[in-house]
Amino acid sequence: MDGDTLSRVFREESGRALATVARMVGDLALAEDAVQEAFAEAIRSWPDSGLPNNPGAWITTVARNRALDRLRRESLRGDKEHDAARLVPPPDVAEVWPVRDDQLRLMFTCCHPALSPESQVALTLRLVAGLRPAEIARMLLAPEPTVSQRLTRAKSKIRTAGIPFRVPPDHLLPERTPQVLACIYLVFTEGYSATSGDTAIRDELCEEGLRLGRLLCELMPDEGEAWALTALMLFHDSRRSQRTDDAGDLVPLEDQDRGRWDGAKIAEGVVCLRAARRRGGGPYGAQATIAAAHATAPNWAATDWDAVVAGYDELAAYGDSPMVRLNRAVAVSFRDGPDAGLAEVDALAGEPRLTRTHTLHATRADLLRGAGRPAEASVEYRAAIGLAANEPTRRFLARRLAEADGARQIRPRG
Amino acid sequence: MFYLALLADEKNATEWAPDSPEFAVAVARHEAFTERAGSAIVGGAALYPSAEAATIRNADGRALITDGPFAETAEVVGGFYVLVGTDLDEVLEIARHIPEAIVELWPMFEWMPVTDQNGCWLALLREPVAAAVAPGTPQWDEGMAEHEKFGRLAGAAVRGGGALYPPDSATTIRVRGGELLLTDGPFAETAEVANGLYVLAADDRESAIALSAKIPVSPKGCIELRQIVDYAE
Repeated sequence: MDGDTLSRVFREESGRALATVARMVGDLALAEDAVQEAFAEAIRSWPDSGLPNNPGAWITTVARNRALDRLRRESLRGDKEHDAARLVPPPDVAEVWPVRDDQLRLMFTCCHPALSPESQVALTLRLVAGLRPAEIARMLLAPEPTVSQRLTRAKSKIRTAGIPFRVPPDHLLPERTPQVLACIYLVFTEGYSATSGDTAIRDELCEEGLRLGRLLCELMPDEGEAWALTALMLFHDSRRSQRTDDAGDLVPLEDQDRGRWDGAKIAEGVVCLRAARRRGGGPYGAQATIAAAHATAPNWAATDWDAVVAGYDELAAYGDSPMVRLNRAVAVSFRDGPDAGLAEVDALAGEPRLTRTHTLHATRADLLRGAGRPAEASVEYRAAIGLAANEPTRRFLARRLAEADGARQIRPRG
Repeated sequence: MFYLALLADEKNATEWAPDSPEFAVAVARHEAFTERAGSAIVGGAALYPSAEAATIRNADGRALITDGPFAETAEVVGGFYVLVGTDLDEVLEIARHIPEAIVELWPMFEWMPVTDQNGCWLALLREPVAAAVAPGTPQWDEGMAEHEKFGRLAGAAVRGGGALYPPDSATTIRVRGGELLLTDGPFAETAEVANGLYVLAADDRESAIALSAKIPVSPKGCIELRQIVDYAE
């Protein structure tokens, strides 16, 4: 048996085993130690005995026994923290497997709103996805001691503040489910939006986000927004390899090689979006609708701009923001021409949340360029460059500026 | 589990004298809350405006007394509840209806129920975040021994009190338009956060200060002493 098999089993089974043992012993930290011990036991015995038929059940059973042993020892010692009242009777095999509800419980516990978003992400990656602190630190571009400390604090808060290990009751689901969705999306976007760090590692983070999204669809099949989120991540992910060029510069959607988008992911996204639509709407559904219009268009010009504009209108209904209106204006410019888009952009001129970043200027610049007004576009690109937050964005805008300046020289407006 | 809900608000924003009409309105809102929460409330008090408070620090073994509330906070504590529930979610379901802008919810390591709080003072212990000590550590046990000493010294003047878990375990609650907003950690942006409390009986402000000065706090900690509003008045 090789190390790859063991680490694959660990990835696939540790979250499930942890979720089940935590439910049985009512203590996350104890369950986590026990699962670690079970894997250490697997590393010792599997090379001789071979891989068990059901490695997950093996790990869960051994971990459960270790946890119960510890509880018994501590209750004999009269340890107040783990008194005999917590001792649970040995479970029968049916209790060990299957574990769907246990995993969902674990997700809701990791994403409890009394934990900070950073802690939620770290905990979900550690406990649900079974990643080691060192792996999480690499993915999040954070020092390992910082991640370890964040995990320790979060687990300590779960214990001392009495964060329950259970799926919230129905009446709380509407306010708790978005927390779980947001955490999964954050895992994905941490990998997707980053323009620095080792690409291969950031790719893993996107994969984890997708895996968690698919898992949530499996665990909450009636939750439309889980399907919509998964669709959204799949559409984004289908073009992950094409969003930067060899030099690491951002490639805008319209210039990407659509032939190299991942067709299988787009197809899966379409299926997930359909599943979402059958179960009602929500902000992720609106975003996935927009992403689907792009992902399924044969080329930029053939994009279904009606669908994109409708998607932004729907998104605004869940929470209007200047950014949503700006994106809608861009879609309008492609549907009805740059002047129509510019009129909408100009209506946003006084928005303080937009004027602090490069986005408003960059959008105006693009629309002016499209409208054949390169001199005005140059001015806007220069303003945008001054506000750009990172180097790839600055380089991209500088390229656009050079194009606009070139256009002025070749085709002076007249 | 017991939880301390510290009711915070911006300084001077909602501090009413107990004989003002605004205070009466606030009392009515809290009465409605109390009725709704029922047996989940096991303790609590409204406090006199912070202008009449005293802050006591330990400066090289001598008590340093400042008039007024703990000066560095932008918000003041207007009162508190002690809530009981099986877990955080159960208590949040109650605490979200507390009619105040900001509530700091602290899990309590222990709670000695208050027997009779007429004519009493709240001594709120504040410690630097960095000085936070977790239960089960030798430092915690040392601190507990100091508090037991104080308990023997103060005798019947101690009417109740409790110890809090470290600030990492606290949660700040705000409700905006019916939506519950939770933040990890205490509300106070300041260096010193709540750490424990006593409800002390004293004849007057001077004797309350004298008694509070004997409460063990770390060199950088302090006691915020506040008079409890007596509804029987």
